Amino acid sequence: MSPTSPRRRANGAPRFREDLLEALSNESGVSGDEERVRAIVVEAVRDRVDSLEVDAMGSLVARVGPRATARGPRRGPHVMLCAHLDEVGIMITSIEKEGRLRFRRAGGIDPRIMAGQVFRIGAKGIRGVVGILPPHLTSSADEERVVPFDDLYLDIGASSREEALEHVARGDTAVFDTVYERWGETRKGKAFDDRAGCAVLASLVQQPLPLPVTAVWSVQEEVGLRGATAAARRVAPDLALVLEGTASGEAPGASDGESAPRMGGGPALTIHDRTLMADARLVDIIRRTASARRIPTQWKRPGVGGTDAGKISLSGTGVPSAVVSVACRYIHAPAAFLDARDAQRTADLVWHTLHAIRKEWER
Amino acid sequence: MPSATNSRESSTAEWLRTITSLPGVPGHEHAAAPEIARAFGQFADRVERDPIGNVYGWIDGTGAAPRPRALLAAHMDRIGFLVKRIEKGGFIRVTSVGGFDPRTLPGKEVMIHSKPPMPALFGTKPPHLQARGESEKVVPIHELYLDTGRSESEVRRRVPLGTMVMLRQPPVALLGGRLAAPGMDDRAGVVTVIRTLELLSAQRPAWDVVGVATIEEEFGSVFLGARTASEKIDPRLGIAIDVSHGDMAGAREADTIPLGGGPGLTVGSNVHPRLFEGLRATARSLGLPYQVEAYPMSSGTDAMDIQISREGIPTAVIGIPCRYMHTGVETVEPRDVDRCARLLAGYLADLPTDWSVTEVLK
Repeated sequence: MSPTSPRRRANGAPRFREDLLEALSNESGVSGDEERVRAIVVEAVRDRVDSLEVDAMGSLVARVGPRATARGPRRGPHVMLCAHLDEVGIMITSIEKEGRLRFRRAGGIDPRIMAGQVFRIGAKGIRGVVGILPPHLTSSADEERVVPFDDLYLDIGASSREEALEHVARGDTAVFDTVYERWGETRKGKAFDDRAGCAVLASLVQQPLPLPVTAVWSVQEEVGLRGATAAARRVAPDLALVLEGTASGEAPGASDGESAPRMGGGPALTIHDRTLMADARLVDIIRRTASARRIPTQWKRPGVGGTDAGKISLSGTGVPSAVVSVACRYIHAPAAFLDARDAQRTADLVWHTLHAIRKEWER
Repeated sequence: MPSATNSRESSTAEWLRTITSLPGVPGHEHAAAPEIARAFGQFADRVERDPIGNVYGWIDGTGAAPRPRALLAAHMDRIGFLVKRIEKGGFIRVTSVGGFDPRTLPGKEVMIHSKPPMPALFGTKPPHLQARGESEKVVPIHELYLDTGRSESEVRRRVPLGTMVMLRQPPVALLGGRLAAPGMDDRAGVVTVIRTLELLSAQRPAWDVVGVATIEEEFGSVFLGARTASEKIDPRLGIAIDVSHGDMAGAREADTIPLGGGPGLTVGSNVHPRLFEGLRATARSLGLPYQVEAYPMSSGTDAMDIQISREGIPTAVIGIPCRYMHTGVETVEPRDVDRCARLLAGYLADLPTDWSVTEVLK
């Protein structure tokens, strides 16, 4: 293979597969219902990995080893790379006699983004709109009141329960009806948390890796970091790197501190969040690698959010773990933003970090 | 015949998809007028625009000249926004033109009608970064902002202040043939006029029938386009076609008419009783379902200004049942739009040229 190719960049790192990000973003996969998203990853990686399995919870687990050479295989610490397949969404909980659907949240969604929103429901993608009374019929007291989740409903156009039941069922999940697009350097789509990480991880395994790596596309992150908890136990890695799409903080009037991490500012590194104290040695390797490779990085705002790394780090007798994130605007909302250059830099950084780990990590 | 009915409705749905997608806040109707003029021109004998921007499509009557004229008015402006300010970071503040509920805006995509147009969305704060209790507070419109994902310099270069901004929501097909889109208010009325002109181009009324797509219904207290159109056309009767609140969860039955129930016929001070009676009689004779809406004072439509134009003009109001008005998912049944057009065409086609509501008593 030539030094640069559609799969590989001049620095040796794999090319970020934006086509995968687009396909993954457009597909629906609410926590517990990740099968269709997983199928896209399977298709993208099956010919590039040594083994590929679906575990008991539905997470996708791929082994990628260093290729044997004439001098024999070079071993190093066993690294788990993890990105979660699931996205926040809603689940249909009842179908009322007038044909309206009631629902509950799966994951953290602000009730203020719901009114007037369009959802794609179930495998068939039936469209539903979240109804709200017109301003003409809204009292001034109600104008000041956020409609709580329990009062919201989906209108699919059905006039009766019977008509609705021909198309939807209790337990169907639904996602924001958002289409991936390129807006200048910005990419707009739903579920960049964490389809960005999923696409970076699928891009990374397109190339032979310098270490024994187990790539995990985990399920049920948004409902309590559950898939990775089980997967980490089974994989039993020496180290873990979690790849995420994290919240950036830019807004009108926001200070520099409040804005960080910024979209376009390079991979965001975690010091600690609500679930994890990132392993300082690992973070140090990542930082020095970034500096040596002239990859800009930034700090994720400390103490905010949580990722699969929180659970992986506690697995077994403990797994030193770190998180590398693509800073995205408007995660957990109908449409998020990311800068495609950040996704490529994240792939670059993880790639070079794996090489650094092979050289530096004490066994 | 069911097959004929279905093709009529699917064609109405196609018109709704096309015409609701055109931009045009009050004062910027020129963004939609050429397409609407073209649509009128497929069926009308004459099409013209007046100096303030109304678009007219004429069906020439078969009666002896001078013939009476009927005015069918639907407003072509849609609620939207104008760019008010560009802030550090390239974030855009907007002012709304027309009555939005700001609770329906966070996270919605819009199109900024710069040249070329630029998509954007109303920014939201992710739950991870919110203070406790923040998600229970409504964000007022002056605190909302647009994000294009582009640099401040590009935004400043490409987006002049005052640029029109529309909600960006492609029409959504729901069950039962229902269609949700921003701009049903009142492009569904414009489509009703188009379909009525189409029917009358075959049925040939004795009267001249003038369909008008009016400007600036959603702005201020004067229905400017309707007033000027009435002055220009001098009609013997005027009918406004606009959306009416459809049946919705949480709305009183008294404030709404069910989707799929056919045209709403308004009774009240804005409607001349003879017009109401005539339309109702036509609905009955054509076997069209209809529903009565009672508005003792304002109908809130172009008919308000048509009625008091010139020496007074008898008016009626036809309502298209529509859910979630003034949101991005205004929902109608194309079947209802089609029935409104058939009702109007049926009524106007049979009107004798000596029809008048004025009486000389002595």
